[in-house]
Amino acid sequence: MKNVLLALVLGTSLWAYGEGVLYWAPHGCDTGKAAAAAHGGHGKGESAMFAAMNLEGNATARLVLPDLSLRPLRFDRNTVMLPPPKMGGYYALVAESESPGNVRSAVRYLSLFGRPADVSPTRLTALPKTALEIIPDPLHREHDRYTGSKTYRFVAMFKGKPLTNVPLVLETRRSGAQTFTSGPDGAAEVTLPDDFANVTPGRGNKPSEFLLTLRHEEGGIRYVTTFSMPYSPNPNNHWQSQEWGAAAAALGFLGGLFLYRRSRKGGQNG
Amino acid sequence: MDKFLTVTALRRVVQLTAFFFFVYGATVFTTFYTDDKLTQALPALSCAYDMKSGDYCALIPLQHQMDHRVSTLFTGDSGIMQALMGTAITVATVALLILILNKAFCGWLCPLGFFQESVGMIGTKLGMKQLPSLSVETVNKIRPVKWFIFLFLVLIFPLLTGIGMLGHEWGSPFCSICPSRIMTTLAVGDMNQLYISQAGWGYTLLSLIADLLFGLMIALALFVRQPFCRICPILPMQTLFKKIGLLRLVKNGSSYCEGCSNCVKACPMDIYEIGNPAVNANITHTDCTLCGRCVEFCPHDGVMSFKYGPATILTSSKESFKKRSKIDKWWKG
Repeated sequence: MKNVLLALVLGTSLWAYGEGVLYWAPHGCDTGKAAAAAHGGHGKGESAMFAAMNLEGNATARLVLPDLSLRPLRFDRNTVMLPPPKMGGYYALVAESESPGNVRSAVRYLSLFGRPADVSPTRLTALPKTALEIIPDPLHREHDRYTGSKTYRFVAMFKGKPLTNVPLVLETRRSGAQTFTSGPDGAAEVTLPDDFANVTPGRGNKPSEFLLTLRHEEGGIRYVTTFSMPYSPNPNNHWQSQEWGAAAAALGFLGGLFLYRRSRKGGQNG
Repeated sequence: MDKFLTVTALRRVVQLTAFFFFVYGATVFTTFYTDDKLTQALPALSCAYDMKSGDYCALIPLQHQMDHRVSTLFTGDSGIMQALMGTAITVATVALLILILNKAFCGWLCPLGFFQESVGMIGTKLGMKQLPSLSVETVNKIRPVKWFIFLFLVLIFPLLTGIGMLGHEWGSPFCSICPSRIMTTLAVGDMNQLYISQAGWGYTLLSLIADLLFGLMIALALFVRQPFCRICPILPMQTLFKKIGLLRLVKNGSSYCEGCSNCVKACPMDIYEIGNPAVNANITHTDCTLCGRCVEFCPHDGVMSFKYGPATILTSSKESFKKRSKIDKWWKG
């Protein structure tokens, strides 16, 4: 309860995106995009460079590959450059930093193209990567994306055990912080806001970023972890009409019934 | 109990099981991740847009490969191996599956095929007069449509999209109009695929066709057998490999077939050719779904049969014909 209140107070009064927590964000510089283009495996226009925001202390970064092997990454200031992907599938980008009484971590997932690794993505998400972790259950599917107005499940885990009744704080660039509380199995259902401005019909909309933050204190140590990913506007809120879709299906159905009547008349005449 | 043991009864059990696997299978057998699917190359309409499906059809990777890989042959962005390897793997997987089950994927496993048959059963029970067979002329007019869809919507339009000659909406145009996309997603409680898009004329056109086709298919299935199967682009793809299929429909009408046309009347795809004289010949037609109804309704011993390699696994007989006809009369009331 104390945690929930603390999160609410922080969320409503002190809100600023990612304030004071370590989190991953794509670094959209030309070098990162050029590296991604040269590597192949990244989507068009995506960057191979990521920045660990609010980085301080002795921080480390590593990449968990789709086959669950680890590859250390080297920080250049607060950025890392991903190596060319040797295999296709989900990768986990992990950062950790420690200072007296504090352990901070950040996890982000990427789906890259290439020869598939023969390991299920569920094993990658379940693999303990940091002491305190937000596990997507599941991640969005390959070729899919997190979308506004849709609800996703995330599990709060501490040292391999689910944390019940703890707040997960959701932030986006355009909306204030919202708190979702984990249930008995440690899972929280998080609905992403569809808070995009100037949405244009079709695929031209750039995704925005959301950030989930989880805090836990144990043995006098404060743990904070984040999960950050891009999300996109929901077409059904902007340029797709489900009502008109249902009407068109009903029209098709009526057309079929009209053909039925014609076939009966034809049968009777013939 | 024995009186209900027919090929159709067995097929219904297999279809129902397959339906649950292909529509809801990710909840039990696999996960919803693409990496965890069994093949991603089924020669049947099991939809990738359904996040709970156990596996999905070959048409979505085929369209994507045309758009993103094969097109690079023309744009010069990659080598031949990189451009064709994905398609080669998909096509080889399809060939392997057809070797094992041939066109029975349609008649025994396809979720959309089962859905249409179920709607047909509802139509019968609602007392709607069933159209017994389409005329030869109508069948001949409809048959080329599936080739058009296969060539243009599965291969050519996606390829032209990859080359840059068409907009993005034409990258997977068959999926955009496929009624299985709407049916299977609705079946798992996802309403997001029934829509009209306003993102441009191409998107609007494709979404409009999809919704109209979905509604039309349901209404037609109430009184016409297998309406969408007749134009399904899976059939041409299966046809490319049907010669290697171990399972096949064989007719041996040398001495007994009296040309009663019961097989033609029983055929849900109205394949008139199966009524033609044939001596120990493989008569698995392009449109055949290997449902086995022609074997069940043939009143002559040993004229129609299913063969798997050298083995005969099902053959027509007077006895099974009588039994099947009785059940049919009971069902239709």
